[in-house]
Amino acid sequence: MNARRLTSTVWAVVLTVLYLFLLAPILIVLVESFDTSSYLRFPPEGFGLDAYRQVFANEAFREGFRVSGITAAATALLAVVTGVPAALALTRLRFRGRAAIEAAFLSPLLVPHIVLGLALLLILAPIPLTDTYVGLILAHLGVTVPYVVRTVSASLVSADPRAEEAARTLGASGLMTFWRITLPAIRPGLLSGGIIAFLLSFDETVISLFVSGQHTVPLPVAVLQYVEYRSDPSVASLSVLLVLLSVVVVVLVERGLGLRRTLRSG
Amino acid sequence: MGDTARRAPAGTAGHLVLDGLAKTYPGKDGAAVRGIDLAVERGSMLAVLGPSGCGKSTTLRMIAGLVPPTAGTVRVDGRDITDSPVHRRDMGVVFQSYALFPHLDVARNIAFGLEMRKVPKTELKRRVDDALSLVRLGHLAGRRIAQLSGGQQQRVALARALVVEPAVLLLDEPLSNLDARLRSAMRDEICRIQRETGVTTVFVTHDQQEALSMADRVAVMNHGRIEQVGTPEDIYERPARPFVAEFVGRANLLDGTAGDPDGERTSVELPGLGTVSAAGARVARGRTAVVMLRPHRIALTAAAPGTGGARGTVLSAGYAGETVAYRVRVGDTGPVLDVERPTGAQRSFGPGAEVELSWDPEAPRLVAAVEDSEPAEAAEPVRESLS
Repeated sequence: MNARRLTSTVWAVVLTVLYLFLLAPILIVLVESFDTSSYLRFPPEGFGLDAYRQVFANEAFREGFRVSGITAAATALLAVVTGVPAALALTRLRFRGRAAIEAAFLSPLLVPHIVLGLALLLILAPIPLTDTYVGLILAHLGVTVPYVVRTVSASLVSADPRAEEAARTLGASGLMTFWRITLPAIRPGLLSGGIIAFLLSFDETVISLFVSGQHTVPLPVAVLQYVEYRSDPSVASLSVLLVLLSVVVVVLVERGLGLRRTLRSG
Repeated sequence: MGDTARRAPAGTAGHLVLDGLAKTYPGKDGAAVRGIDLAVERGSMLAVLGPSGCGKSTTLRMIAGLVPPTAGTVRVDGRDITDSPVHRRDMGVVFQSYALFPHLDVARNIAFGLEMRKVPKTELKRRVDDALSLVRLGHLAGRRIAQLSGGQQQRVALARALVVEPAVLLLDEPLSNLDARLRSAMRDEICRIQRETGVTTVFVTHDQQEALSMADRVAVMNHGRIEQVGTPEDIYERPARPFVAEFVGRANLLDGTAGDPDGERTSVELPGLGTVSAAGARVARGRTAVVMLRPHRIALTAAAPGTGGARGTVLSAGYAGETVAYRVRVGDTGPVLDVERPTGAQRSFGPGAEVELSWDPEAPRLVAAVEDSEPAEAAEPVRESLS
């Protein structure tokens, strides 16, 4: 029994150390965000909410938040609208070149973002779509649609395609079948894909650096520009706020989905 | 025999009529379904029986409109529906996987077809309640699908298909997902529901017992063709083709040479077994004929010197509770026959025992000539009785 207790203690210690190692940078940022000094330096010299006040007072940050919010919302919406039909075709239809198209859909995940950013700059600059919302959203779609295709495909694979056929035999047209049967079946994949797309777009830095300009500066780019000239704890406060935003969104969605799952089985 | 007809000429009665229905998949060798002619009488239950890959499910899906046929027509009540889309066909389909809607409860699943037909609310509620009590699930109306057992899901699928009062009910392997005990209960249940509703029903199965015990008529399919259509008794007792004899029940098929016809019967010379007289197909004198002998129709007695019957040696005896399955070699080099004898009062034999084989004169059945590869018309095509 002692040996058993020893093993579990060792495990607990190992896991704690591992998590501390993973979370340490974020914890340091969290601590630093309450620093009252005017330099970003660890350990902090005082404790207060000055840095947070500065974040909300900063016009560039507020504008960046607005740009990123609009871009991420539009990207998530369009990624779902284009990803769902793609996932439907890739899982339900058998056609020539299906495997190739599937690979093409996932390829943006394999290409380094710096390469994608450069390529997108070369394509969007002459149109010209750089420094516009349209250009930013198009660029973000490339790296978010693959996730939607993935998550929606997973939902589709686990759903019984015969249910759609059953709906047709019961008098439902193709559109009605999609609305009443297919859509509810893929809702979890659609929601998680959309959330992932939103968070990725909101967080996207490298590609945004290439295609954004003076008029559309997403938040991560605004942060980069800020730390180029200044280094005060407000950046740490902003980071903490961003982490909170992600956590809140993920928890809300997980709660919502989890709640429905319990209803279904219990 | 008068009832082994397989052809339903255009224009004859029959609630559901298939005419030359065929399906070829591009890029695949050979057709999945090669011209099915079939008429199902109003209110009757037809089983389409065949091994997996014989085209029976494809046929069912063509009737439902889920697979477009390459050739042929589907008619209901004389109306050609070959080109009407699935959702306007008025077919009730029960899928092998049940294909229930997991996000809707039992009552909403059943109501789906009525909602699509825009049935008014009060009538919808009444009809859903009726359907629920038809399948005896009234107490589960509010349940989620995931909370139901396999048998209950099967009933919901039936209710959902029947509530819209479809022209034809189609069942794809309806019992294959249930365990053995539930299967026999559901078999009776489906028969009861079919009788109560009087809906014309076609079900597809690979299980001969299911087909024989449930259906009014059985169509045996193989390689995309119908080998024979008839009552369960026709199919079992009077198979028109060697495939039917072997697929439905167990059968010894023996090649022999046809002799003179004698009224309905033909004498056939079987190597090692002597001459038997068998009714069934017509085979010209001197040609090769196939004689079917069901294992349970052969009797075994201890070989006694001086009697003239066919002799054999028991090769193996497999005890199976109610019966013993023997393998018996006829003579020294003759064919090996399957023999099945009930246990109990019967005397049993061990391997090596010398036995005498006998059967009643009605037991041997002439199935078809071996080289006769034409479809079952060779075995007396008789027109479907009109009624």
